[in-house]
Amino acid sequence: MAGFEVRGVSKVYGGATPTETLSNIDLTIEDGEFLSILGPSGCGKSTLLEILAGLQLPTSGEVWFGGAKLKGPGIERGVVFQDPSLYPWRSVAKNVQLGLEMRGVAKGERREDAQRYLDLVGLKGFEHKYPHHLSGGMKQRAGLARALANGPEVLLMDEPFGAVDHLTRLQLQDDLLRIWEAEKKTVVFVTHDVSEAVFLGDRVVLLSPRPGRINRIFQVPQARPRRRDDAGLLKIQNDIYAAIHEVKSSESLEFTI
Amino acid sequence: MGYDGKKRYRWRILIGQVALLLACLGMIEYLVRAEIVGSLYLSKPTQVAEEIYKLFADGEIFHDLLVTLKEFAAGYLLSAFAGIATGMFLVLVPHAENFFRPFLSALLAIPKVTIIPLLMLWLGIGLSHKVAIVFLFCFFTIAFNTITGIKQTAEAHLKVARVFEASKLQTIVKVILPSAAPTIFVSLRVSAATGLVGALFGEMVASKDGLGNLLVQATSLYDTAKAFGIITVVTVVSVLIIGVIDLLEKRVVLKWKSS
Ligand SMILES: Nc1ncnc2c1ncn2[C@@H]1O[C@H](COP(=O)(O)OP(=O)(O)OP(=O)(O)O)[C@@H](O)[C@H]1O
Ligand SMILES: [Mg+2]
Repeated sequence: MAGFEVRGVSKVYGGATPTETLSNIDLTIEDGEFLSILGPSGCGKSTLLEILAGLQLPTSGEVWFGGAKLKGPGIERGVVFQDPSLYPWRSVAKNVQLGLEMRGVAKGERREDAQRYLDLVGLKGFEHKYPHHLSGGMKQRAGLARALANGPEVLLMDEPFGAVDHLTRLQLQDDLLRIWEAEKKTVVFVTHDVSEAVFLGDRVVLLSPRPGRINRIFQVPQARPRRRDDAGLLKIQNDIYAAIHEVKSSESLEFTI
Repeated sequence: MGYDGKKRYRWRILIGQVALLLACLGMIEYLVRAEIVGSLYLSKPTQVAEEIYKLFADGEIFHDLLVTLKEFAAGYLLSAFAGIATGMFLVLVPHAENFFRPFLSALLAIPKVTIIPLLMLWLGIGLSHKVAIVFLFCFFTIAFNTITGIKQTAEAHLKVARVFEASKLQTIVKVILPSAAPTIFVSLRVSAATGLVGALFGEMVASKDGLGNLLVQATSLYDTAKAFGIITVVTVVSVLIIGVIDLLEKRVVLKWKSS
């Protein structure tokens, strides 16, 4: 059981000028689902993901995970950060081994596990390089491998392909789907990119501008493997653009995707 | 510019540097030989070289060299451990820094040389006196740099550790210390030089042996050439110590930066 129940979650950041960031989010994420979260900059996507990760607590409301109330971070929920946040003083292989090391997995086993995921994300031959030797896309892959190496039930991904060029991005999307299908994980995937959200997700959650609320949830019933130019997918993309436009005109707020 | 070009460039610079050095030494040699400058004030480089040879040949210097190195090593290592430990304590224990910072800053502000006579009163003029001076010269820089370094730990790196359910100790060893290492090393390098100065200065003020003492003896006998010889030896020692620390930094702790 690796699904989430998000009930009435709100988040207000304190400080001199308190910012209401998330407002009354209700969301069920099914076990094994690939859920895309789409929303304008600053609407609280990262905040929502960090709440799911247990890195932050909601101001009100609660999150249930696998039948228990969420209290903090856990290794069963892997996080792929927007900025890959690799440790610059560790080689790529050592970075990928980090979580296993924290859990006290023996050295040999650790190396084998890490290697398997390095191969999977296409970083074979770069094990002994340091992060500053890698390109942006390779760092993102290493970040993905680091999360995967722990065998998490859930992958929480925050614009993981944000910093790479378009072609690499398409490649990484295919890689991710391959991994997801092979390992049957629950994936929560935050993105700015409408076509990416639709191509990847079983459902797409559209958040409204700050404070983030759930604007609409789009089902993407198309079977996989999907084609990027599939008419059904394009239709859903158009619906999403229309919904964004509606929000924009009705609230006359800046809404950039 | 290709690799060969760069290499040739480097050679030319090196040749130029050596030429400049020889010219300076030659100039001094000439000034003293021609008695334009009295041999009380400057010494002929050839004579200085001779003095250095003598210092080592009759073994006179080894005892003092060893004394100075011992004082330095003990004080330096002590201050490195204590400084890093203090820095870690202050940042990692809640409220410790707020509480202790004013005291530490006040201690830092005391010009250390003014305590040397007091230390003499407390510790005599032997090894422990010099070790204490070296310690005082090094400790604060290392402690404050450790604090700064630890605070530079990226929030994002700490989040990664939390996601992996790292223990407090794991977080310190695997995230915080490696993040602070470059800043700590800056202070270790600076302190190596100031620490040696501390040992020498202590010896010059009050001691029975050590290079500083040897230097004071030479100058009080107006043995200028020997004084220059000792200064040369001290300089080489200083360069070697810093070289060792640089090597440690490049090859061990911050290998990732240079690779
Ligand atoms: N630690 C924090 N303290 C105070 N305010 C914060 C903090 N983190 C985020 N915020 C605020 O909360 C809002 C939402 O931030 P968040 O990072 O969740 O947005 P986002 O949807 O991920 O944006 P982007 O797409 O640009 O990454 C922003 O207005 C931001 O200023
Ligand atoms: Mg974000």
